[in-house]
Amino acid sequence: MRLDLLVDLWGAYMLDVDAVRKDFPSLKEGRVYLDSAASSLTPDPVIRKMVDYYSDYRANVGRGIYGISRRATDEFEAAREKIAAFIGAGRDELILLRNSSEALNLIASGVQFRRGDSVVITIQEHHSNFVVWQRVKERLGIDLKIVKSDRQGIFNLSDFEDAIDGKTKLVSLAHISNVLGVKLPVKEVAKLAHDQGSLVAIDGAQSAPHTSVNVKDLGCDFFAFSGHKMCGPTGAGALFIRGDLQEHVEPLCVGGGTIEDVGIDYYRLRRGPYRYEAGTPAIAESIGLGAAVDYLRSIGMQNISEHEQALTRRMMERLPEVPGIILYGPPNASDRAGIFSFNIKGLNSHDVALALDSAAGIMVRSGHHCALPLMKDLLAAEGSVRASVYLYNTLSEVDLFADALTEIAKTMA
Amino acid sequence: MHSIVDAYSRFPKADCGYCGNPSCITALRRHCSGEMPLDQCIFFRTGALDPQSIRCPPATESSGVPGISYINPCPSDAHAVTVEVSLASGEHAKHGYYDMVTLDRILGGHVPSLKVSPSLGMARIELEGRSIMAFGEGRILIRRALDEEDALLQLSRAMRQLWAAVN
Ligand SMILES: Cc1ncc(COP(=O)(O)O)c(C=O)c1O
Ligand code: SF4
Repeated sequence: MRLDLLVDLWGAYMLDVDAVRKDFPSLKEGRVYLDSAASSLTPDPVIRKMVDYYSDYRANVGRGIYGISRRATDEFEAAREKIAAFIGAGRDELILLRNSSEALNLIASGVQFRRGDSVVITIQEHHSNFVVWQRVKERLGIDLKIVKSDRQGIFNLSDFEDAIDGKTKLVSLAHISNVLGVKLPVKEVAKLAHDQGSLVAIDGAQSAPHTSVNVKDLGCDFFAFSGHKMCGPTGAGALFIRGDLQEHVEPLCVGGGTIEDVGIDYYRLRRGPYRYEAGTPAIAESIGLGAAVDYLRSIGMQNISEHEQALTRRMMERLPEVPGIILYGPPNASDRAGIFSFNIKGLNSHDVALALDSAAGIMVRSGHHCALPLMKDLLAAEGSVRASVYLYNTLSEVDLFADALTEIAKTMA
Repeated sequence: MHSIVDAYSRFPKADCGYCGNPSCITALRRHCSGEMPLDQCIFFRTGALDPQSIRCPPATESSGVPGISYINPCPSDAHAVTVEVSLASGEHAKHGYYDMVTLDRILGGHVPSLKVSPSLGMARIELEGRSIMAFGEGRILIRRALDEEDALLQLSRAMRQLWAAVN
């Protein structure tokens, strides 16, 4: 038996994909969901946990003295604790927000930048980690440096060394590119940045759902991620801000819940995550995200990673067979996460996506994936088709996808 | 993917008319709609071909109410519009509104701007920068139209190109 087959079988034993699929009610017959990088599906336990809140203990958090309100608060705070532990953060370091975009905006508006400071990002950033810095540049006159990779998405550490200097206030980069699926050298960059006295922010939107993350091990000061990409509901995301940094980082919004004391002519912000959480939060959603963390942990992040690696190996075997395919990102399965961007010569990405949907019920993203600088500068493409896998995808779905693509390339291009 | 084309590939393709249908693809579609027993075809009746080998695909899902169901800015081009039109009502032809096998036979390879995929049950038309996809179940999607009026104009042009393939 071939070694890779054995490895696949081993992976299958560790993660029982048939059992996993039963947990996801929207995985209906005839639907092949290959768009988890945009948003993942939600398993039953998460849905039930949110319904429980609405049907059993619907009250505001942190406000009421009565029992139900205390229960809501306890559940909300328990969720915070789980989500924090999931990325190796302390509970006071975890701010519950709506999504990665809000988290990145919080960093951009909260850190005290001055004219002459520089911010270093990369060409692979999602608009949410790109435009925010262009705006800081426009408003405050900071210097924005953009580190480029080669066309396959691989970075040269010396380019970061060149870009990061004593004036660098912050380096903000994705952990995994949402277009190329490349894993960025975040740990090495964090070290370079800290050596120069710079802060480090990681956009973990594409990593937290798929790999075990430990913010202490990564050595970052900020880590942003979105719940809806990791089996949680939409509207719940989080930001890690290193504890001792918090008094230097301003909230994005202030108001109810964020203050320790207010008088006619003064206010004093609270300490800890509450400082950043103005107003009534997304209670059900945050509790749901806590349940998503429980769910992922019950499956095991290592098992999820291995399963996705098996799917990735199959993708990287099958996709190059498709006639006229231009596959972006690193050619080696081991260098990439389960994200596959490509074009088929002679076909627009949207037409490929429409054809996949109509012919085989396969759902993929098409277009620029909110990464126009990468598209224009690196890939010189108008857009691409992007398929992405998660714990509920199967090897036979990968095969169906490759077969459908081959047929599309043969008959439609 | 199990399509009508798989079943068609096992059909005689003689278009002899013995069964009373103008072509084998019409016969197959009527068979799959439960309107024609296979033994009306001379090839299956005499045992020259095996009736067991013909598996009908599931009936296409009608996209519901005929009409313009969706207009918005193009996903990648905020200045252009995308229009989706559903032509078939649920009752019209259980096995598709457009017959891409016939379309391919009549126009396949003759019209440079038109690509037909009988196996996928769809066709693609490029018209001066606009992209039009037509699907067997009677759905037409026009991307990159200049505006709503232009989209409807392109729609009527596309429908004219496709008319011979209406079931
Ligand atoms: C790398 C990356 N960063 C940020 C985001 C933005 O996430 P959200 O839409 O949840 O704010 C995404 C989502 O596509 C992403 O892939
Ligand atoms: S009798 Fe058979 S071969 Fe002749 S047209 Fe009908 S289906 Fe085709």
